[in-house]
Amino acid sequence: MLVEFELIERARSGDDGAFNQVVQAYRKRILGTIARLIGRPEDVEDVGQEVFLRLYYSLDQLRTAEVFEPWLYRLTVNAAYDYLRRQRRRQENRMSDLSEQAVMLADAAEGSKRSAEEDRRTKVRELVQSLLEKVSEEDRILLTLKEVEGLSLKELEKIYQVNENALKVRLFRARQRVLKAYESQSESS
Amino acid sequence: MDRMQDGGNDKLGGLFAQYRESVPDPDASAQFMPNLWRRIEERRVATTSVFRRLSQVFVVATAALTIFMAAVLIPRLQREQVFSASYVEVLAADDHGDYTDLLK
Repeated sequence: MLVEFELIERARSGDDGAFNQVVQAYRKRILGTIARLIGRPEDVEDVGQEVFLRLYYSLDQLRTAEVFEPWLYRLTVNAAYDYLRRQRRRQENRMSDLSEQAVMLADAAEGSKRSAEEDRRTKVRELVQSLLEKVSEEDRILLTLKEVEGLSLKELEKIYQVNENALKVRLFRARQRVLKAYESQSESS
Repeated sequence: MDRMQDGGNDKLGGLFAQYRESVPDPDASAQFMPNLWRRIEERRVATTSVFRRLSQVFVVATAALTIFMAAVLIPRLQREQVFSASYVEVLAADDHGDYTDLLK
């Protein structure tokens, strides 16, 4: 826990100052998780604010301060999921408007601005994002929390409120799908 | 086959680790907290205005119902015959003499 239970209790009882302190303690971690979940730096703050907005209006439903972190992660997962769903719909519309040539020109213009290190990182980001785009939003989020964020099965169990075996099955399947996409991408390149 | 899959899993694990590295936790901008509080306030105002609108609807509906009752229902009830007999008179009117015959 990054904050004392007492601070969360105070925030729960309507103390705005305590809520501010809770946000400041968790902000960086949550923004990092969101950045890796959604893969769009320009929208990270917006989704982060949505998470803390939902936290503000749902704090009174929190049973005890002990379950605060899984609760906050659940809100993060839900906000990221909503964002990814919206984004997928928007992207489908946008891509149908742009010609292939216009997309290539936009990519080339973006590529010329990068440094070598940033280029390597961008390639990794793009590769992982393209792999994750090949699975459902649910699988993408679950896999990112486990493989990238390094959350344990116990922690995921608390966030998703499902048993460990069900999570293992879902993770295995998601991993298989991504692996398949990775192999077919490696073969084609 | 299993060994190939293990190799793929390892590569994937390595790729995820690199991804974790290439996307560090970002710092929030100076506008993060002010914007968050603005959104909290906007939501509060929106919720309050929904309740205000609902209560206005209820007030108008109650007033309309009161006027309707005053204008239509009450005069109609007043026009109907009022049954003003007492309880004893009702019993007497209903008495066909069956029981009184028995008492005699």
